[in-house]
Amino acid sequence: MNFFNRTVRLLAFAALTLGFVAHAADSARAIIAKAALAEPPAQRIETITSLLGSGDESIAGLLAAWKEDALFVYTAPDGSKIPVQLFGDKDDQDSQTATRVDSGKPILSSAGKSLRLVASELTAVEHTSALRRAMKAVLDLLDLSTPDLKKRISAIQTLGFAQDAEKLAALQARQKIESVPSAQLALREAIALIELKDASPEVKLASLKELAALHTIGSADALKAALADAEAANHPSLAAAARLALNAVDSHLTTVNFFGTLFRGLSLGSILLVVALGLAITFGLMGVINMAHGEMIAVGAYTTYVVQNIFGTGLALSPFGFSFHIPGMNTGGWLYESYFIFALPLSFLSAALVGIAMERTVIQWLYRRPLESLLATWGVSLFLQQFFRRVFGSNNVQVSSPSYLSDNWTFHDIIFGWNRVFVIGFAGLIVLGVWLVLTRTSLGLLIRAVMQNRNMAACMGVRTERVNMLTFGLGSGLAGLAGAFLSQIGNVGPSLGQSYIVDCFMTVVVGGVGNLPGTVVSAFGIGLADQSLQQILLNPVLGKITVLVAIILFLQWRPAGIFVTKSRSLEG
Amino acid sequence: MSAPTTRRIEFIAVAVIATLLIVVFPLLNSAGVISNFTLNLWGKYLCYALLAISVDLLWGYTGLLSLGQALFFSLGGYMLGMHLMRMIGDLGQYHKPIPDFLIFLGWTELPTFWKPFSSFPFAAAMVILLPGLVALVFGFLAFRSRIKGVYFSILTQALTYGGSLMFFRNDMLMGGNNGFTDYKFLLGADVRDASTQRALFIATAVTLVLVYLGCSWLSRTKLGLIQRAIRDGENRVLFSGYAAAGFKLFIFVLAALIASVGGALYVPQVGIINPSEMTPDKSLEAVVWVAVGGRGTLVGPVVGAIVVNALKSWATRAYPDLWLFFLGGMFVIVVLFLPGGIVSIPDRIKMWWARRADANAATSAPVAP
Amino acid sequence: MTTDQEKTNLILTVEGVTKTFDGFKAITNLNFYLDRGELRTVIGPNGAGKSTFFDLITGRTKPDTGKIEFGWDTDLTALNEYEINRLGIGRKFQTPSVYSEHSVWENLLLSLKGPRGVFSTLFHRTSTEQCDRIDELLTLIRLDAKRDWLAGQLAHGEKQWLEIGMLLAQDPQVLLVDEPAAGMTDDETHRTGELLLSLAGKHSIVVVEHDMAFVKQIARDGKVTVLHQGTVLCEGKFDDVQADTRVREVYLGRGQHGTR
Ligand SMILES: Nc1ncnc2c1ncn2[C@@H]1O[C@H](COP(=O)(O)OP(=O)(O)OP(=O)(O)O)[C@@H](O)[C@H]1O
Ligand SMILES: [Mg+2]
Repeated sequence: MNFFNRTVRLLAFAALTLGFVAHAADSARAIIAKAALAEPPAQRIETITSLLGSGDESIAGLLAAWKEDALFVYTAPDGSKIPVQLFGDKDDQDSQTATRVDSGKPILSSAGKSLRLVASELTAVEHTSALRRAMKAVLDLLDLSTPDLKKRISAIQTLGFAQDAEKLAALQARQKIESVPSAQLALREAIALIELKDASPEVKLASLKELAALHTIGSADALKAALADAEAANHPSLAAAARLALNAVDSHLTTVNFFGTLFRGLSLGSILLVVALGLAITFGLMGVINMAHGEMIAVGAYTTYVVQNIFGTGLALSPFGFSFHIPGMNTGGWLYESYFIFALPLSFLSAALVGIAMERTVIQWLYRRPLESLLATWGVSLFLQQFFRRVFGSNNVQVSSPSYLSDNWTFHDIIFGWNRVFVIGFAGLIVLGVWLVLTRTSLGLLIRAVMQNRNMAACMGVRTERVNMLTFGLGSGLAGLAGAFLSQIGNVGPSLGQSYIVDCFMTVVVGGVGNLPGTVVSAFGIGLADQSLQQILLNPVLGKITVLVAIILFLQWRPAGIFVTKSRSLEG
Repeated sequence: MSAPTTRRIEFIAVAVIATLLIVVFPLLNSAGVISNFTLNLWGKYLCYALLAISVDLLWGYTGLLSLGQALFFSLGGYMLGMHLMRMIGDLGQYHKPIPDFLIFLGWTELPTFWKPFSSFPFAAAMVILLPGLVALVFGFLAFRSRIKGVYFSILTQALTYGGSLMFFRNDMLMGGNNGFTDYKFLLGADVRDASTQRALFIATAVTLVLVYLGCSWLSRTKLGLIQRAIRDGENRVLFSGYAAAGFKLFIFVLAALIASVGGALYVPQVGIINPSEMTPDKSLEAVVWVAVGGRGTLVGPVVGAIVVNALKSWATRAYPDLWLFFLGGMFVIVVLFLPGGIVSIPDRIKMWWARRADANAATSAPVAP
Repeated sequence: MTTDQEKTNLILTVEGVTKTFDGFKAITNLNFYLDRGELRTVIGPNGAGKSTFFDLITGRTKPDTGKIEFGWDTDLTALNEYEINRLGIGRKFQTPSVYSEHSVWENLLLSLKGPRGVFSTLFHRTSTEQCDRIDELLTLIRLDAKRDWLAGQLAHGEKQWLEIGMLLAQDPQVLLVDEPAAGMTDDETHRTGELLLSLAGKHSIVVVEHDMAFVKQIARDGKVTVLHQGTVLCEGKFDDVQADTRVREVYLGRGQHGTR
């Protein structure tokens, strides 16, 4: 019975496709115009149905207008009937511009002016429920043929997940002409999913094999249902095939999760890396962890926010009760989107300046008292946080990603956000840059000299004060850059720095003092461990705690990575 | 001044202050001279003083800047808080025999680990045992691998951070974000009653005096000498044959216990405990008290805790937005310009005076014929 | 190689020890044997590895290869600093390391022989014998008048004396003394020499020194070991060593100008 049904439908569809091919010369508009005029109405259905499988963009609008009684038949002075649509503002006589359905162009009067008609004086083209059903069928399949690949694939998937046997024919027809491989895959999946509902066990079995071969993540639910059905129907071979397919999907899912985790871990690691690099440099130099380093991240992120607003409509701030307005440039399009390119160097600069100011006012007096400077920098951190709150408000501010960072690639179901890819790539560049600065420039030489032996360097005539200042600026600037990245991935708020700083400290501790390669390894190690534990434990908090415990245990095993013992004087 | 005289002066001062706190203030309160609010506020300050002493014992005396003291303080608070929650009985909003937040999370029966907390002695023992155990395990691992200086600070900060993350979770069954509040009874007395609060104040004052005397004794023992030797030159201590790790562990656990007892006394007086008390920032705040008061002394932390918190009570009401600026600024200024804290001011004035006198003598001498 | 008789007479055995710092060989295949009651002088140019040699014995650094034994059966490489110290190996550092925030008296008290556990120090009461011993040491190191001074306030030479006093307070079997004469007057240097000579016999002593007059004073008939580039260049009586051409080349030839 069902099989018979299917054959009939297939045949009907074949006929229709042939019909469609016959009409190929006519545009979709012309067909709809023809349908609007068709007599008797039964023929309308047939004509509309002939649009099945067409991807023309005008169809959706016209059919919607038809259903809303906004498609009219205008009888021209010469008696010919023209289907029209009315557009534009109504004037005082309620008239609007009339557009021909078949061409989409305004009707021109003999004087060459566009014709204006009044809706209430025209008769709307009728539609019956059977016709509306036919229209829906056309609309359903419309997206199957749209030239927009993403839209097409998502339409195919929607049809597949619905598992509606009626849509099978359309999908199969599309399969014949589809040329893009990813859409082909989606079609195979959708067809297999629909066939999974087929009554015949052979068809089911074949579709299960197909699904096992495709092992798409989306098919898991349908497969589970099929497995349950097969078990209920006591059909062992089907159940086995379903299990096989499910296993294939599961193992694929594991792979996808694995690589997804790897990717997220890498991007988190990259951010940690950029922040921790700055921390490692300042730490290596002055032997103290700058507790306000996290606030340097926030300085960078807020700078990005300010730059974005200046490119946009401007920024109203009301710090300490004064309110002032930074006018915007009201740019749009690509110029607006390029704000991020400008924000990157500016966030580096602003954080570097804040860092230098901090070094001059507070830290330079505390070089030999690491614990005290830890405390003083915490004071600065409190100060800055409150400052952000007063200037930018205590809530998160909105930083929108430019379009070139907000999309993603999907590769074998693994989603690669462009923002994260960008962060990874840029972190690589920064590491390279820092390495070059430290090894190839005279500043780098001085920094390393001071790091190794402050007194000796001072004796050799190195102006350690300047080196301190610049190093501190460099370290803080790196944190600022990280802040600009973070603004693309997470929220920007006054306590932004606080949420990353503990991880950064850990990175530096595990990596070892002033040991840049160590910092790189530990940043990625911690980033990956964090993300994979979150994945495994399904709980971000437990994941974090496990990482902390792991770090403490790690230090049991390799405390030596941290301590540099100097030979002659006892207390290094 | 010789050592015995300073000790006698110290003893008299402690005796006077102890009488004031333990006897005079509560009497004035029951006579209505000191308001319940003020007494309660001071009770809170004294709990903070205990926390500050625990910070100073590590930082000022042993050179270990622990940012984990807020964790131990809150753990103590939570342990007693659990007992207080059990004492609410069925007087909660849901009128069920288990704490409201558990009902809210869909529990109908008390989780097993909550059961023994109905007993006060058990809860009191846990105030000592749990933070002590945490400190023992963490300290053992940290000191064994010779983690010191800023590394120790960072790791204890991470420990506190991890603890607060855990307590923020609802599945921890410790009240999540909101923690524990709305206590009703402690040892059969109504917690909100003025006389109960007065008793708690006295208990806190007695504890503080005992802890003060204990620490003061400790600092005079040979262990106290080694403690300060570790601060000034840990490696040298090793080469004198002392296992520095064992000494540090002892002090770390002791400081955790002091903080924890402070927390346990704090909770019934303040009426609430939640994970925001457990953050690394709270530890750092306690470090500010010690820095402001004067580290490496026992009076310093007490003075600092009281002065800074009194200032905070006033400033958060008068200038709520500026308080954090103030706290941050105060920290920077004390560290930069007054490393000895408030208690070092008299000495500084004396030194300044002496130097001025010297300078005067020096400048006037050549002029004389 | 060694007979049982010799074994029991050995107090320190260092055999085939190598130590590398980041690829730099500070100690290479070092062999060193110290007899009970011996007073040994070790000399060598700057950077020869003398202090590193002490570091290896006292557990400050661990050797890459080789064995270091105390007596003839205690493996020192498996122990850490305080365990080695408790066995009875005391050390005076090259740069004086005293507890600068403690008084001279407290410095000596902390070094005094006795139980070193946490609880035994917590309940420790200083006995009259211990006070007497400290007084004795204070007289010996001539810091009697400064017993209540903070050690950090002492002059460099006084700190050296204090550290020697701390070493004696431990009453160790083996004394490792790194450049005791640095910062002392000639008179004091001489007195240090006398002191070390008086201790020999009861204690086993290794002295590292650059000051040749001092070395000559304490070496007498005892052995002198010359370290060069982390290994033993030669070993023998002071006069023999001084006559050795290799030694003259690497050390004494230069040393005549470099040191007194
Ligand atoms: N912890 C260490 N890391 C790296 N190199 C070290 C370390 N300790 C010692 N060295 C190196 O090993 C070599 C030997 O140093 P050592 O201090 O033992 O020499 P020394 O013989 O005591 O010299 P001096 O007479 O100047 O005291 C030196 O080149 C020194 O730089
Ligand atoms: Mg040396």
